[in-house]
Amino acid sequence: MMDSSVKIINEWDIVAARQLGRNVAKELGFGTVDQARITTAISELARNIYLYAGQGEIMIEKVESGTKKGMTIISRDEGPGIPDLRKVMEDGFSTSGGLGAGLPGVKRLMDEFSIESTPGKGTFIQSVKWLR
Amino acid sequence: MNMRIPILKLHDCLLVSIQWELDDQTALQFQEDLLHKIHETSARGVVIDFTSIDFIDSFIAKVLGDVISMSKLMGAKVVITGIQPAVAITLIELGIRLEEVMTALDLEKGLEKLQRELGD
Amino acid sequence: MRKKIYQYVQSHSDEILNEWIELMRTEADERAVQAMSDHMFVKTSAEFVDLVVSNFSETEEAFHERAVDFSEKIVRLGWPLTMMTDGLRVFGQIVENGMQKDGTIDHSSYFEFMGEINNWMFPMYKTITQAYTTSWERTVSLQKIALQELSAPLIPVFDKISVMPLVGTIDTERAKQIMENLLEGVVRHRAEVVLIDITGVPVVDTMVAHHIIQAAEAVRLVGAKCTIVGIRPEIAQTIVNLGINLEDVTTTSTMKKGVEQALAMTSRQIVEVQE
Repeated sequence: MMDSSVKIINEWDIVAARQLGRNVAKELGFGTVDQARITTAISELARNIYLYAGQGEIMIEKVESGTKKGMTIISRDEGPGIPDLRKVMEDGFSTSGGLGAGLPGVKRLMDEFSIESTPGKGTFIQSVKWLR
Repeated sequence: MNMRIPILKLHDCLLVSIQWELDDQTALQFQEDLLHKIHETSARGVVIDFTSIDFIDSFIAKVLGDVISMSKLMGAKVVITGIQPAVAITLIELGIRLEEVMTALDLEKGLEKLQRELGD
Repeated sequence: MRKKIYQYVQSHSDEILNEWIELMRTEADERAVQAMSDHMFVKTSAEFVDLVVSNFSETEEAFHERAVDFSEKIVRLGWPLTMMTDGLRVFGQIVENGMQKDGTIDHSSYFEFMGEINNWMFPMYKTITQAYTTSWERTVSLQKIALQELSAPLIPVFDKISVMPLVGTIDTERAKQIMENLLEGVVRHRAEVVLIDITGVPVVDTMVAHHIIQAAEAVRLVGAKCTIVGIRPEIAQTIVNLGINLEDVTTTSTMKKGVEQALAMTSRQIVEVQE
């Protein structure tokens, strides 16, 4: 059960997604700090789906590149999309009244981060954490 | 499926030890319960222990920050204790600073700090 | 032709070795020659020539293994990669000149000779450079680990007070490592105050300051206090000139002051004993 996904429809799915993420991170041999980073990043991404898109999916895959091993987290939804990507990547920007840590926070927690979003179509976020 | 976090009273303080991963509902329920308990007991201080928690995301951090400000409004000082290194690092990287919060290494030191703050 | 080359190399191995050493001394990278004593140079050269010759007689796997062993050794000795590649080129030249001189090859067989020697040399180039870079990469990654290990110890100096001396340049990776060591140490030693000593950090720019501030904030979250000590005049100047806000972090210039403050924070002081 290395590569797997969780559909995000209600709040409980956020918990399910981060638990899956933590288990995979543990299995891959990430330390406690990286486990916390990964779990937190998944929680943020899943919550974004739940709050803004209504529903979507979190996918977790292990990756290998040369001698490096790691874990990819993909967040995909067919929600309203993000009109101004630059703005949501600024610290302190939030439309939900949260702390606004959201996406820039996820970017800091992970090693690689990319986002594609089309208004009206949905959002696709891919991020990677490498095993040190 | 709602699990409530037990809130214990010790003299004029309330003690809370969070023992399992917080989901959104539990966190919100806890906010409500704690404020009621403060009102009910006129507690002057609260210690919330996080020793068994291995992750806090921005939502839970916000609920926590809010409950601390709300408690303050009701006249109760809050000390949070036992934040794990991994949790502290992720909070900082997320950009969450929990600025005005008093902290201590563990429950015991948290209580000591609270007693000092309350001037006993 | 392959056989002829082999025969030539076998019967002239001493001459080739001497000529090779002679040529390499003048041609090669000075670092390689200076890296070891004369005796070692001759010995290692002999091993290299031996390795090249063994390519004829041994199986591919056996040669590969020998190449790996030899590469590991010369990486340790500090021979650069060019010593290996130049060495092979020079070896080819010596064989070519030698065989021309004694008439084994002439104009008509020259192309055949070149073809054969290339067939022989190229796979060897590949194997040797690969073996060399592999052991080089391993050395680098071992050094990186060693560096990480010495990067930041947290030392408990008194009950409730710990010190973390930082030495050297701080990059993002090291900053993360330092933060982890720091927080885990604080929790393990039950420290109430940590003194981070930056006397040994050569440059404090915006990024380094940012990492230090983050570390101080994380220390506060786990329930301890953090003081930065070792702020030298030039560091104070850069911090202010760069507009870095260190207001929320306690700082002092010397470790002595820092320790005094830390003792005061934990309601203690050092007193002289009256005999």
